[in-house]
Amino acid sequence: METLNDTDWDVLIVGTGLKQSLLALALSRSGKRVLHIDKNHYYGGAEAAFSLQEAEDWLKKVAEDIILNQTYTNISILQPSQEHSGTDASKLSFSRAYNLSLSPQIIYARSSLLPILVSSKVHRQLDFLAVGSWWVYSAKDGPNDTPGSEPSADRANSSQGKLVKVPSGREDIFADPSLDFKAKRALVKFLRFIVEFEDQPEVWEEHREKPFPVFLSEQFNFPAALQDPVISLTLSPSVPSRITTEFALRRIARHLRSIGMFGPGFGSVVPKWGGLSEISQVACRAGAVGGAVYVLGKGLVNPESINAPKYRPTGDTQKPSELKAYLQDGEAITTRWIVGLRNDLEPFYAQQHSNLEKHPDPGNSSTVCKSITIVSSALEPLFPALAEGAPQPAGAVVVFPSGSLALGEGSDQGEEIPPVYLLIHSGDTGECPTGQSVLYASVALGNERGFVLLEQAVKLLLRAINTEPTSTILWSLRYKQHTRIRPHWQSVSRENPSTSRQILEFSPSPPDLAFDDSTLDEVKESWQKILGDEAGEFMVFDDREGMGTDLDDNE
Amino acid sequence: MVADSGAASGPKPSSSVKLVLLGEAAVGKSSLVMRFVNNDFQENKEPTIGAAFLTQKCNLPTRTIKFEIWDTAGQERFASLAPMYYRNAQAALVVYDITKAASLTKAQHWVAELQRQASPGIVIALVGNKSDLAASPNNSGSSSSGGSGGALSDASTAGDDGDAASSTAVGDGDDGDEDEEGEGGDARKVATKVAKAYADEEGLLFFETSAKTGLNVAEVFTAIANAIPETSLKGPRGVGGQTHLGGGRQEDAARVNLTGGRDAAGPKEGCAC
Ligand SMILES: Nc1nc2c(ncn2[C@@H]2O[C@H](COP(=O)(O)OP(=O)(O)OP(=O)(O)O)[C@@H](O)[C@H]2O)c(=O)[nH]1
Ligand SMILES: [Mg+2]
Repeated sequence: METLNDTDWDVLIVGTGLKQSLLALALSRSGKRVLHIDKNHYYGGAEAAFSLQEAEDWLKKVAEDIILNQTYTNISILQPSQEHSGTDASKLSFSRAYNLSLSPQIIYARSSLLPILVSSKVHRQLDFLAVGSWWVYSAKDGPNDTPGSEPSADRANSSQGKLVKVPSGREDIFADPSLDFKAKRALVKFLRFIVEFEDQPEVWEEHREKPFPVFLSEQFNFPAALQDPVISLTLSPSVPSRITTEFALRRIARHLRSIGMFGPGFGSVVPKWGGLSEISQVACRAGAVGGAVYVLGKGLVNPESINAPKYRPTGDTQKPSELKAYLQDGEAITTRWIVGLRNDLEPFYAQQHSNLEKHPDPGNSSTVCKSITIVSSALEPLFPALAEGAPQPAGAVVVFPSGSLALGEGSDQGEEIPPVYLLIHSGDTGECPTGQSVLYASVALGNERGFVLLEQAVKLLLRAINTEPTSTILWSLRYKQHTRIRPHWQSVSRENPSTSRQILEFSPSPPDLAFDDSTLDEVKESWQKILGDEAGEFMVFDDREGMGTDLDDNE
Repeated sequence: MVADSGAASGPKPSSSVKLVLLGEAAVGKSSLVMRFVNNDFQENKEPTIGAAFLTQKCNLPTRTIKFEIWDTAGQERFASLAPMYYRNAQAALVVYDITKAASLTKAQHWVAELQRQASPGIVIALVGNKSDLAASPNNSGSSSSGGSGGALSDASTAGDDGDAASSTAVGDGDDGDEDEEGEGGDARKVATKVAKAYADEEGLLFFETSAKTGLNVAEVFTAIANAIPETSLKGPRGVGGQTHLGGGRQEDAARVNLTGGRDAAGPKEGCAC
């Protein structure tokens, strides 16, 4: 294999996560010499998708890593022993039958990501699938019903909670027998308002900081039973009393305005084959076609740690605009720009300021507990057909509202429990074999009780959907995801002032449930800095020569 | 509104197949693709940088396959690119040059890597290119059906070595062979028998081709198209017998179209809650 030693580049992109990969895509037609590296032996970084084996390897790798400020910690895998010999779906399949995503985010139809994928032409290599119905779990007898108790066979219906479908249209509302007239009226009135809420500041502006549930009941006479479904559309990880009215209105409007964009009855999509990881890879492919050089298994290192001669910025052998970076294996390269996540750039900072490692991180950190569960059923009741002419949905959202789950004894009385969200992916996503499903669960709790809640939610969900034969858990993975919150992603220019402008640091991806458009702002900003006046229109590319013209999506 | 997806393309179901080409530098990967896509050949083709993407349709009696072809660079410097191309690929064409023994060794490495890392159902074809440089009559393309697909129907002649019967040249294949290079002697360094034995053992499709004359090029792609299991073309739920709205092909039953069919009425009417 060739060596990278002494090579010179315009841009060094570190890590193949979504932002870095989108930047590679943005630069793919610019003629810049791009070196794109990743310390891992796989693509996707913190947004990767794994087979079962790769998930095991990831677990081991993370456990061994001793870097500061890891994104993921407390990873564990549980594989219940399989005693029965039923159909194929009832058994865990082979490792590569799975593409489990660390980034199963839904993408709203109005997200600015989608037009960018289209204008850059990479959408042709992606398949998007519809996220269909949204469900809210309702524990019939209130939160104090002991959810862990086994339902006896004939009392099953009374001792288990049920899933209530969030109405996705006016017809849905009117057809819903569980809503009385008053409730229907409140709901319709609210929906009419929210479509154009920005134009009606008199209704909400003075309440913008108020808890959203209070706003709903005061301004719209919202019956309590209707609050959970509406709040679930915010995808907020917080307890309702901490969701402000303004935040909620924006989120709910985002949801509703997306419905119908790409077909009737749904408003968001997921990429096939493992979530955002697939978009990263497609973007990297475009980067490679544009001539970027890709090297896996190679990250930045602090030259001191490998006994390489330390570079001194004062040295005069180097042009002022050049940055010297050291790679694993000791190769030294020069580049004009370095872009990556803070974690990945850390060795570079350390190389310039040997004390930096010990500096505390400037931002706060938030932690969520997440789990990925493979179950032995297609969970078909969660994926009802949407409407005539609509695609078959491959994703569903199930929300366990705040208060619908209880932590047993030992938990603080009166403490509000945040909602648990589950994104359900069918075999259509390519993430699991046909007949099985993948459940991505998350809750905004940083301690072990988060895992307890996730486990509870998965169990209750499976129990609430009576499938025949009963669905079992075939495999599950859980982990904590830490996100450091910083006022603004580029506010860390405390490095060597002469070169710091050339180091662009991406903020870590938030643990959100829906793709966050601000991701693109960072990519665009760095693209603009790198290209300066040469920058044309962001991500707008012509077809490449040699591409068939018969690539019409509508054929 | 009803059945708008896919129905326009006629009665034949059509599906996309992602295919990746792998192999040592200069064995003729890009030339094979160029022959297949444009029915063209360049004497001095420049090496591929990174990768190239092309598409071509392949009409079978019962269905149309749209190949999405990723042509990778054999000169790949750091062996890091291929994984993102063979990920989720349904087919791979592993190419060697019959006049370079080392290129078969490299091809075998690729096959091993695909078997280890790629989608388990991937259809792999081993292709010995530049058969025009071998002395006749041993330059015939012989093919064999190997494992995975099994049903290779018409495209495979299951020939014994040296059987010249299957040389149905494609396109302008009759004007190029037996000239300059062929003349002096036989440049062949890899015996058909050796490569075929290996392919059989590993369950690979096998062909000897010439991108220059066109010999067997279309046959390779047709054989791959035939070998892709029907189930992997249908939407994953096809087996369950679930009825879909829209009635179109299975693949489209779930796919969301980002560019067309935007509901003009927008979210205000009907759908938006
Ligand atoms: N005689 C003969 N020459 C061929 C044939 N196929 C390709 N060549 C020649 O071989 C050289 C390399 O062909 P390419 O198609 O560029 O090879 P490649 O495998 O794409 O090479 P990389 O892109 O570097 O990996 C070119 O000069 C072609 O003209 C063939 O079937 N017969
Ligand atoms: Mg080439």
